[in-house]
Amino acid sequence: MMRARKRRSLGQRLWSRLVTLGQLLGHFASRQRFFLAPLLLVLLLAAILLVLTGGLSYVAPFVYTLF
Amino acid sequence: MAAVLGVSALYHDAAAALVVDGRIVAAIQEERLSRIKNDASLPARAMQACLDLAGLEPGALDAVVFYENPYVKLERVLVSLLRVFPRSLRQFPRAVGAQLGSKLWVLDQLADLLDVPRRKIEHAEHHRSHAASAFFTSPFEHAAVLVVDAVGEHASTSIWRGQGRELGCLGTIEFPHSLGMFYAAMTAYLGFEVNEGEYKVMGLAAFGQPRFVEALARVIQLAEDGSFALHLPYFAHMSDSELGFGPALDALLGPRRPPARPWDLSAETDRRYADIAASVQAVTEQALLGLARRAQALTGARTLCLAGGVALNAVANARLLAEAGFERVYVQPAAGDAGGALGAAILGALAHGDERPAAMQTAALGEAADAARARALAQELGLRWHVVDDVPAELAQRLAAGKIAALATGRFEWGPRALGQRSILAAPGQPEMRERINRVVKERELFRPFAPSVLAERADIYFEAAPSDMTPFMTTVCHVRPERRDELGAVTHVDGSARVQTVTADSAPVLHAVLEDIEKQTGMPVVLNTSLNGRGEPICGSADDAIGFFIGHPVDVLVVGDVIIEKGRSA
Repeated sequence: MMRARKRRSLGQRLWSRLVTLGQLLGHFASRQRFFLAPLLLVLLLAAILLVLTGGLSYVAPFVYTLF
Repeated sequence: MAAVLGVSALYHDAAAALVVDGRIVAAIQEERLSRIKNDASLPARAMQACLDLAGLEPGALDAVVFYENPYVKLERVLVSLLRVFPRSLRQFPRAVGAQLGSKLWVLDQLADLLDVPRRKIEHAEHHRSHAASAFFTSPFEHAAVLVVDAVGEHASTSIWRGQGRELGCLGTIEFPHSLGMFYAAMTAYLGFEVNEGEYKVMGLAAFGQPRFVEALARVIQLAEDGSFALHLPYFAHMSDSELGFGPALDALLGPRRPPARPWDLSAETDRRYADIAASVQAVTEQALLGLARRAQALTGARTLCLAGGVALNAVANARLLAEAGFERVYVQPAAGDAGGALGAAILGALAHGDERPAAMQTAALGEAADAARARALAQELGLRWHVVDDVPAELAQRLAAGKIAALATGRFEWGPRALGQRSILAAPGQPEMRERINRVVKERELFRPFAPSVLAERADIYFEAAPSDMTPFMTTVCHVRPERRDELGAVTHVDGSARVQTVTADSAPVLHAVLEDIEKQTGMPVVLNTSLNGRGEPICGSADDAIGFFIGHPVDVLVVGDVIIEKGRSA
């Protein structure tokens, strides 16, 4: 298992997520996927709820095609 | 000069690989440490083990490279789900939840886990990682590279030109058309577990006749230019994460085989399924030959590297070497998704200006077996153990006497094959030995073959087309020379083939010495070699794992480093 390390500060972790959000939005903008933006926005709100509630996991044979 | 950690995770076969100053220092699948077969979780143990083997702290890493692009993956998942809406309705919440609830944030999770700045966490592309894992560990300066798997971000198949430090993509076939998905769906149809049972389909194929090839032409269409397309009504992988094929396939080929029913190849029903397996294998080989020829036409290369889960199809790889028009073919041992971690690490190292690694000589890139720990544990458990000076000679003597031996020596292997570091060894002569190991040690289907390991310098005496660039890693099969088949009854498959490992002193020193000794005793430098694991378990990693296996399974002797443990209690 990973050796115990000091937990990253809230600011560092928040910054990480903002970087990811920026990269995500950049990707959808650069690939001309604007039509997915409303869907993505709604889903992201749901995602924040999922993250806050600990997420979920699901295992199935063809999981890599859908998930 | 850089230290780069590559990571693959979240789908199947999570792994970590570390490249330091252009040298592959370690490459480890998470399942070996977590003891969860095909463990897909973020490989915390494997990452730590890689760092420990290099004596590095995470802060010393110049980059951590995840093997695929999570943003493109999300895009593909969303578009795919929308494309088949409303059939995907049931899967939609779970799929989106898994993506946005956790998988999208994988780069942040890596930063948190390693406590490194987020800017050091990068990502590669799935198929580029695969291509890099193959080409940059190959002995070739110029090669065609063919990546074939189920799906990465969008691509399921890609052709690359490898030249020196460069990889250029020349073409792709995109999801949902996928050769890996075809094979996986047929694996499920035949009642095997997907992502695990594909080897069984390959082994079963040798027992059948490919009389369903024509029927399968409706399921997958092969084009003149080497491309292919799935006829999607037969499949369900776009809307169903459980099965992968639809009722149309049952209508075409008859009802699917019930999972877990014992096989009886003397019965008409199971012979029919064997014929279907043979047809699936034949169609897959035909598709791969078309792709390989296309890759050669595009690159003009005389050498080929293969990667992706489909590249673990050793039977198909042998046909590619024989028929695709390449002089040499190379497949690195972890050709599946785990290998993406190695490719990602190498891509990161190259981006930092390092040279490409030397050609891979050995798969022994994991943690070492600890003989001192084995001694202490054997003593504590009251096992019958002793230390010997000449392990290979002792082992060879027992093998020649018909014993089944478990061997844990040196660093464990990278990839799904046991290559003499975590192996079960036995005499290769008698078919009864195959049945005994299948039945009571591995507890698996009796039709499944075992592989031989042979001294590389003697391979040609026993096997056709050996050694090759693939035989050190068991990623191809060779035909056993007809005049040698009686001597190699336990390792010759029903079609006369064998998944040979050619052994050198560099690749597996202890096994090499065992083979030299056994040649002195029996005149034949060949042993049966199968992986050191029980049914449903990952291959052993540590001395603890090996002793646990030894206690729970009917093998006669276990060797860990210089410690020999035999059955029975200590006096």
